[in-house]
Amino acid sequence: MAVTERRPQPLRGPASARPHSNLAILRVTVLVAFAILTARLAQLQIIHGDEYAERARSNHLRVDQVLPPRGLILDRNGTPLVENVPIYRATVVPALLPNDRQARYRIYLRLESITGVPAVNIQQLVEEAESAGRKESEVEIASHLSQEQAIVLDQAAPSLPGVSLAITPSRQYLGGPAFGPLLGYIGPQFAEDQPRYRAQGYLPNQPVGKDGIELAYESALRGSPGLLVAEQNALGEIQRVLETRPSVPGGNVQLAIDANLQQYVYDLLVRSLGEATTAAAVVMNPKTGEIYALVSVPGYDNNIFQNLEQRGHEYEALLNDPRKPLLNHALVPAAPGSTFKLVTAAAALQEGRITPSTGRTIDSPILEVRGENGVIYPLKDWRTHGYLDLRGAIAWSSNIYFYMASCGIPQEGIQGLGKDPLESANILAYYARAFGFGEPSGIDIGGEMTGVVPTPDWKRRSRSGPMFNPEDREWYLADTCFMGIGQGDVTATPLQVARMTAAIANGGTLVTPHVVNAVLDAQGNVIQRIEPSGKPVPVAAEHLQVIREGMLLSVRQGAGAAAAQRGIEIAGKTGTAEFTTPDGQTKEHAWFTGFAPYDDPQVVVTVYFDLGMGGAKAAPIAGQIIRYFLEHHQP
Amino acid sequence: MTAIARRPRLDARAAFRGWDRFDVVMALSALGLVVLGLLLIHSGSKADYSGPALSFANPVVKQIVFALAGFGAMLAMSRIDYHRLTHYWWLWYGGSLLALVAVLVVGQTQFGSTRWFDIGPVQVQPSEFAKLAVIVALARFFAEYGGDARELRALLTSLAIVVPVALLIFVEPDLGTAAVTVAIWLGVVVIAGVNRSHLAVLAAICLAAAPFLWTFAVADYQVERVSILIDPYRDQGGLGAGYNVIQAETAIGSGGLLGKGLGNGEQTQLDFLKVPTKDFIFSVLGEELGFAGAMGLFALYIVLLWRGIRAAQIAGDAAGQLIAVGIVVLILTQTFINVAVNVGLFPVTGIPLPFVSQGGSSLVALFASLGILQSIILRHRSYRQA
Repeated sequence: MAVTERRPQPLRGPASARPHSNLAILRVTVLVAFAILTARLAQLQIIHGDEYAERARSNHLRVDQVLPPRGLILDRNGTPLVENVPIYRATVVPALLPNDRQARYRIYLRLESITGVPAVNIQQLVEEAESAGRKESEVEIASHLSQEQAIVLDQAAPSLPGVSLAITPSRQYLGGPAFGPLLGYIGPQFAEDQPRYRAQGYLPNQPVGKDGIELAYESALRGSPGLLVAEQNALGEIQRVLETRPSVPGGNVQLAIDANLQQYVYDLLVRSLGEATTAAAVVMNPKTGEIYALVSVPGYDNNIFQNLEQRGHEYEALLNDPRKPLLNHALVPAAPGSTFKLVTAAAALQEGRITPSTGRTIDSPILEVRGENGVIYPLKDWRTHGYLDLRGAIAWSSNIYFYMASCGIPQEGIQGLGKDPLESANILAYYARAFGFGEPSGIDIGGEMTGVVPTPDWKRRSRSGPMFNPEDREWYLADTCFMGIGQGDVTATPLQVARMTAAIANGGTLVTPHVVNAVLDAQGNVIQRIEPSGKPVPVAAEHLQVIREGMLLSVRQGAGAAAAQRGIEIAGKTGTAEFTTPDGQTKEHAWFTGFAPYDDPQVVVTVYFDLGMGGAKAAPIAGQIIRYFLEHHQP
Repeated sequence: MTAIARRPRLDARAAFRGWDRFDVVMALSALGLVVLGLLLIHSGSKADYSGPALSFANPVVKQIVFALAGFGAMLAMSRIDYHRLTHYWWLWYGGSLLALVAVLVVGQTQFGSTRWFDIGPVQVQPSEFAKLAVIVALARFFAEYGGDARELRALLTSLAIVVPVALLIFVEPDLGTAAVTVAIWLGVVVIAGVNRSHLAVLAAICLAAAPFLWTFAVADYQVERVSILIDPYRDQGGLGAGYNVIQAETAIGSGGLLGKGLGNGEQTQLDFLKVPTKDFIFSVLGEELGFAGAMGLFALYIVLLWRGIRAAQIAGDAAGQLIAVGIVVLILTQTFINVAVNVGLFPVTGIPLPFVSQGGSSLVALFASLGILQSIILRHRSYRQA
């Protein structure tokens, strides 16, 4: 009884006595415990089984969208003007970071050592994203890392949960500012456009063209994304590739532009600017509409837009520049001045109001024309020309001769294009439109403005509103006269002037200009060719021949003599368009438009400076461009 | 009659006379669990183990070896009169306390918790044996006290037996095993007829003390340490605290009614489950064998526990009955907590699934406990007849 004897209180009965409690409570507990677990299992596996199955699938299935390489832009000789480059960025997904503050900070410190961004700043960026509820999406810590930094980050990332190296496709533009507005640039999709892009099959991180060729040929350049479906393990390592669909690279766009010529013209214009602030030039094939060069000065470096984080101040400077470098000035209208006299000449010949031999002696620089209600308009010429026929009037750019041809000289009984100034204006406007003024040329890049071909109706509409008097809306004789010499309200872009010149040079076809010749696939096969197109102008060929002769005379001995080049027969027309600056000063735009060789026109060149005299400033530049072109161009 | 009761001795004839009463159903249900466990360990280790099939490094082989050792331990324990255990309770109990202290000093730290001794190729977890020591000590105490916990003094004394062990396990930290230890005590005192009002007062005191303990713990051990108690895998791979639970739930839920088939669970095979052969082996079962497989597992456990309760029912004395109750509660709470963790009803604690999870100490200790139950069953009649 050793055990029982040591019992402290033997009043409870013998040691063999069994407890009184019922073991049923234990059985009940067992059943209840397993009933709870069974209920929970039924909830997980039977009620929500499908959801969990889906979750398990998305857990281990990894679907990667593969960005296609964007197509390149080549000049007409195949020289690439842009290349695809990766932008390396360090990103953090806050939801994947460890919860522990110290562990997080260790990651920030490691990131600091790689990217140079202070850990405190990283912490701030992450906390801002978290408090804004963007835990699941990437926070950019640093962009435009060097390749060395990218390699270090890529190797470190697996041991830094939440950190990854993101690679965004970008562009390196090779041509410099000469190609700025022509090529345009790419950038991320704007948030408000994303649904539209998604519907078109874009990936969210796929950049899109924003201007120039990049925008206009976006659908050819973009390519289509590929797909990689793979099985991954918990570390995100790919175990097995289940399905792949390779991405289709975008098509390469082959320009009609000659990169060397474009650069030459740009440099020439920049060197010759003088008092001018902006300039533009168009070099084009008069028969096909191919644009060999489309230059706008000042240009800009497209690469600024690929790195706005670090070059934002340069972008600001572009936006605030009064010269508006982001505009393609070859597509921006200005008063065409005397270059428009070619249209007036064509209209007058075709309407039978003058013949090539119609002459006038201009012995005074002022012609007083009696207008409505006996008003006398003193109309000026730039010199006393003496006797001029039509060819001489074109060559010497006589204003008075073209007043006569457009609005007539009522007191001498010389009728204008129509029976009254209004009809004259409408007839001239008809021919102006027939030569492509006042409407888009149809060039295959955006940013084109139409300019204005004024008519009496247009004047009434455009001058409506309380700030105009009723008499401001009236169309007067002088309006027709000024229109006849490309002044007044007429405006045209350098491209429109070039297109008009081409129609005269090629014998009457108004061609549609294009900067792109073809879209090629990665192997160089032509996917799409831009075919020349055009429409006839309603002017007889012999009339155009007379105008060409006048233009030839202009460069041989007339106002455009400065364009002459030894050994090349150039025909052209100068233009010096008066305009009133916003502060009330009267200044001139300088124009020259011409073609060469005279016998078989290969090229049309139009040069424009916002300030300057046409014959002195624009003509010699055009001559040099023509020489350069004919010496270097291989058809 | 009383002489045999008081002086248990190794009586070969008496022991063999009882073999016909050996509970085969209980042993078979445990073996069934082990076999199921081997299948799941095989599936769960496929992704990580690629060595030869017949090697001690193969977790399946290792588990088979431990299962055989465990089975031997069960047979050996069946032969030993359980009164020998209660007689030398102090040896076992004191040894456990020493081992628990020692493990804190020289033990292996893994997943932020110090629970193991490395002895050669095997890891020994003293808390596995300490739980049994507590059962034996409680049984011995209440047997001497007339199998009765109605008196407050008896209740408090029994508490004094449990608390040192539970506290030492708690600070390893191993919240789960500490909870199992407390559950064993609760089961034993309930069966021993505890006064419900005493229990209610104790519960109230614990609830009232909880906030102070929490503040104390937070102040002393820092937030990090406390949260490791709750989630030992928190820092693994730097993924969020809920990661393992979410992946386990996903695995189980995706298994559906019939499962994806053994070896076909993507969650298991692609490493989304952490420790898939140990604490999260139930998730492997849930994913690959589905609801049906889980019901089969539960059925085996219920049979096993029913036989354990039967042992308590027919035990010859208070000591035997309370030991049987303690072992039943031990297996029940471990199973419940492990499965509850897997299905997201309980914080992650690191409790293995009895007889199923990979792990030598646990398996041997569990089979040894079954041996004690067998010993109780074998002796109930001989004890009464003698």
